[in-house]
Amino acid sequence: MIIDCNANLGQWPFRRTAYSTPDQLVERLARVQIDHAWVTSLDAVMLKDVTAANEPLAEAVADHTQLTAIGTVNPKWPAWGSDVEACAEQFGMPGVRVNPNYQSWTLEEPVFADLLAAARDLGLFVEIAVRMTDERHHHPLVMVPPVALSGLLANALEYSDVPIVVANAKNAEAGSVARDSGGDLPDNLFFELSHFESVGGVQSVAENIGVEHVLFGTHAPYFYPEAATLKVFDECDFSEADLEAITHANAERLLAGD
Amino acid sequence: MSISGGIIDCHIHPNADLGSTPEETAETLLRYADRMGIEMMGLSLGPIFHPQPTEEQIEADNTFNANIIALHPDRFFGYANINPNRLYHALSEISERIENGPFIGIKLWIAMCCTHPNLDPICERAAELGVPILQHTFLRPEGNLAGESSPADLVELAARHPDTTFIGAHTGFNWEQGAREFADQANIVADTCGGDPDMGFVETAVRWMGADRVLYGSDAGGRSFATQLAKVHGADISDADKEKILRTNAKRVLNL
Ligand SMILES: [Zn+2]
Repeated sequence: MIIDCNANLGQWPFRRTAYSTPDQLVERLARVQIDHAWVTSLDAVMLKDVTAANEPLAEAVADHTQLTAIGTVNPKWPAWGSDVEACAEQFGMPGVRVNPNYQSWTLEEPVFADLLAAARDLGLFVEIAVRMTDERHHHPLVMVPPVALSGLLANALEYSDVPIVVANAKNAEAGSVARDSGGDLPDNLFFELSHFESVGGVQSVAENIGVEHVLFGTHAPYFYPEAATLKVFDECDFSEADLEAITHANAERLLAGD
Repeated sequence: MSISGGIIDCHIHPNADLGSTPEETAETLLRYADRMGIEMMGLSLGPIFHPQPTEEQIEADNTFNANIIALHPDRFFGYANINPNRLYHALSEISERIENGPFIGIKLWIAMCCTHPNLDPICERAAELGVPILQHTFLRPEGNLAGESSPADLVELAARHPDTTFIGAHTGFNWEQGAREFADQANIVADTCGGDPDMGFVETAVRWMGADRVLYGSDAGGRSFATQLAKVHGADISDADKEKILRTNAKRVLNL
């Protein structure tokens, strides 16, 4: 059983990718034995009203039991609380994603705490996408720095009953949060592995931050999904228990809220 | 898929975090290469990357890599590091390390943009020896670093030296652009290393350059073998083309 906690539907504005529809994505992930995927909308990132992508996303995955839609919200946008409510109550989503860098806010601003409070009330997890693509691939007129993770740890400790997923973070970014926590990340903080690099890198990050904080993710179809499966199953040498944790048990524990 | 014979990774570095001695570095790399089906790896640079290396740094890195090759000549090959700003030393390293072995190519990084005339005697020497030049190529949205070559720079150099074979590293990193820039310059092949496992990378390189001109490389240790192999294993191209990219093109270009 593999749950991909970081897949996408739709199109990134600056590149066309194959396998961008629900049918195509499900088939493509099944080729590498991925059974289930949490999907966000690539279209949402660059919209001004990001929530315009949520209803189409919910409809697109409605008849695909292999996919779970994760809506996108912007806590700097007027009446954003109603968008979070819609994700939970109207669309039945388990979590919401934010792109603080594209939405022009930081994790140190009060809006982040406000979002976590709203998510707690509705039983949602909150996912932060650190980046969408390598900064060196950005369009020269749309260069967006990655999300700074300062402020993450304090808020994760404060809202310890809200699961927080950090997506598209690199080894050093995950490592710096673990270091700030004194090697003891809060139970509600998770890092998705699609951007972990270096030789045996997933294993060294897992040892560094704790395997119980690692979620399997591909960033497909923007990335080839084989990158994640080859890293976890072939390049690294995880125990059976660690593989269980990474591929699905951590994600299931996150959803169950315990 | 399985290929007949192991995978050849044309582009790795012995980064310090892999080990502090040739023995340790080789052992780490082989442990992971064995898991990934990689038979041979091509070394360049050294434990620490020097953008503008001194003669002493060049010699130390070349010796480090030669020592790895001496330990496992069936698993490693190497490119002679040189600095074209130190042309006489560069030419003597080529004679010393290639003519007398063990290196089978030349590595050029970011010490000097490759359009400079100092590159001409280096390319002529590479053609005489029948060895390729692995040239770092990159395209940054804010403009390249001083001394960093773009794909167009390499095309300019390769056009001056039709008898020399060039490996355009990273396909220019912004591969959608790099593959097109390299397309018509037949003495350039491209490697797929470094950068994220962006879907479409290898398909695009094959579409513009043809499967005979694309080589798998990883840029390990900074990169994972797995993410970089995924670009080839995951590409929508034929198994025959994958075998060329993973092995047979490297055998041809590097005379392995
Ligand atoms: Zn390199």
